[in-house]
Amino acid sequence: MLASTLGRRGRFARVVYVVLASGLLAGCGINTIPTLQERAKAAWSEVLNQYQRRADLIPNLVETVKGYAAQESKVLTDVVEARARATQVRIPPDILTNPEAFKQFQEAQNNLSGALGRLLVITENYPDLKSNQNFLALQSQLEGTENRISIARRDYITAVRDYNTEIRTIPGRWWRAILYPDAEPMQNFTVAEETTRVPEVKF
Amino acid sequence: MAAMTRRLGWPALLLALTVWVAPAFAEPTFPALSGRVVDAANLLSAEDEAALTAELKALEEKASDQLVVVTVPSLQDTPIEDYGYQLGRHWGIGTAKLNNGVLLIVAPNERKVRIEVGRGLEPILTDALSRIIIENAILPRFRTGDFVGGIKDGVRDITLALTGDVAELEARAREGARPDANDPAMDWLMVFFWVAIILLFIWASSRSNRQGVRGGRGGMGPIILPGPGWGGGGRSSGSGGGFSGGGGGFGGGGASGGW
Repeated sequence: MLASTLGRRGRFARVVYVVLASGLLAGCGINTIPTLQERAKAAWSEVLNQYQRRADLIPNLVETVKGYAAQESKVLTDVVEARARATQVRIPPDILTNPEAFKQFQEAQNNLSGALGRLLVITENYPDLKSNQNFLALQSQLEGTENRISIARRDYITAVRDYNTEIRTIPGRWWRAILYPDAEPMQNFTVAEETTRVPEVKF
Repeated sequence: MAAMTRRLGWPALLLALTVWVAPAFAEPTFPALSGRVVDAANLLSAEDEAALTAELKALEEKASDQLVVVTVPSLQDTPIEDYGYQLGRHWGIGTAKLNNGVLLIVAPNERKVRIEVGRGLEPILTDALSRIIIENAILPRFRTGDFVGGIKDGVRDITLALTGDVAELEARAREGARPDANDPAMDWLMVFFWVAIILLFIWASSRSNRQGVRGGRGGMGPIILPGPGWGGGGRSSGSGGGFSGGGGGFGGGGASGGW
């Protein structure tokens, strides 16, 4: 009789302790790694989203420019090809922890940025094009998208830096060793590319 | 002694690391959010400011969107696009749920102007529309030195753009006016949860005491509960006389222009 009540109470107390312990653990950072990981992934989706938006705007832009500056066929085909390459890059699910794939993605997008920059520079030479309302709208959308891309990249850089710091510094390092052995450091954009947003073109 | 320095070494190293990694992208310093019109560059008279404030207040009451006019004496060598979204996030203009904040930023010394659009309003006040407002309503006035007129016309057109689609406007106002039922309820749930845990704990330990089990843990001292679940979340809702943002997000929507 006594033994059975003792056993039940022991189990009950254990439940209480487990609940309390999980609360206390949450307070000292056990959830930090998954939280930061999800934040970095969300920031990455935003980057992809904005690059996609840019890719979607380009066909319209190319069509509009073609109407006024068909003789610039080299620059136009460059943009079309760079866009095709950028949208064809296969994005593996592990891209964030896979340096090769990440680099490939970056290179394709940078190529497209370069080609697009050259296209926007030549449009300066066509006053009719510049005063075309459709072109103005496209141009401001494209500028807005480039701006969003750079902000999304910056947010991603911050998120990944927080995450990488967490898994490499002390309480996070221990949590990773115990509970999240598959939390790999994530790839980040390099600062050099961040500063050269649109390549300069001189004639 | 050696053992002591070794023991002190870890915290010191950690502290050094956090200090070292802490500075993010150098943020410029921002003026304080003193109202719906923050005239840090002194372009507006008191009457103009009052009139604009009334107009902006009416817009928020009608559409729940927060529009803030800000003039800055210096962008501190930051492109206005970067300054704009950082300022929006810093002040948290718009609500956290709808992200419906808009900033009209005028930097007279750099001769730059920008309409910074919160994430939630990007489909309504699009980049192209922002650009049109800047080119047609604001810049012609600014070029002649008429800052008051340019700002007023800009505010008028932004308001028109935000309130133009009546059906959409009503839906948005309803959404914005609905009280945030989620948060307080969750807070109370957490309070009940923890109170229940404490009571259970006290009950369990008093039971074990009464039955004469001497385990040495009968009189457990104060129970320390983790904080972050509840109690934190200090987000001022901006009621009362003052004006404050609601934690709206900015992702770089809008357009800029120069004169």
